Amino acid sequence: MSKLLLCLHVLAALLAIGPVAVAASMFPKALRRAHSDPGDREALATLRILHRICRVYAAIGIAVPVLGLATASSLGVLGSGWLIASILLTAAAAAILALLILPGQDSALAAAQVPGSSPGTRSPARLAMLTGVFNLLWATVTILMIVRPGSTTGV
Amino acid sequence: MSLRHLRIAAHVELISLTILLANLATAHLKPISSLIGPAHGCAYLFVVAATWNLKRAATTTKAIALIPGIGGLLALRQLNPPRR
Repeated sequence: MSKLLLCLHVLAALLAIGPVAVAASMFPKALRRAHSDPGDREALATLRILHRICRVYAAIGIAVPVLGLATASSLGVLGSGWLIASILLTAAAAAILALLILPGQDSALAAAQVPGSSPGTRSPARLAMLTGVFNLLWATVTILMIVRPGSTTGV
Repeated sequence: MSLRHLRIAAHVELISLTILLANLATAHLKPISSLIGPAHGCAYLFVVAATWNLKRAATTTKAIALIPGIGGLLALRQLNPPRR
């Protein structure tokens, strides 16, 4: 049962976090393009689809920590330091995504859709920074999951 | 997030909790708990997130969505009253 849960956990992480990481990283550049040419409908469509990918796959991503906790409890490693650190980092990444990146994209998209709105230079840079932090947190969690410092079954 | 997804997740939330409690009261098979448990957790969190993301959801509806098991269905009822 642990093996099945672990497979589902890794699968969910690959399929849900990957698209969010890619789409959120592409969003700031597309936003700059939409700002530089306000009449560009294609840029707006790109922005909209990138935001939609982030939103939908963030919702699917709920499965990742849930399956992770189920796997950890079935393996009996819930008290390990590396796992607690990963849980905290995951919570931080989820908070950045749900509370800062997605609302930021939402308001940037709404501003870009209004013709003649002043192109803010701060919004793309801020989103790029937040997305970078998000991706860095996930990279750290992935490394913790593989290296498992302090575990007796490490690679 | 459309209402259709919320409706599916709300049903999964209630059905999975029913299965879990029935399993707990009767055979208490471990594979059922460890498979349906995460499914219920996902459905519950999805319902809460989907309701909180709805712009037309009132604060009461968002609070109702937090109720375990039937929160999703109650929130849907609040969003779509029988007569509208």
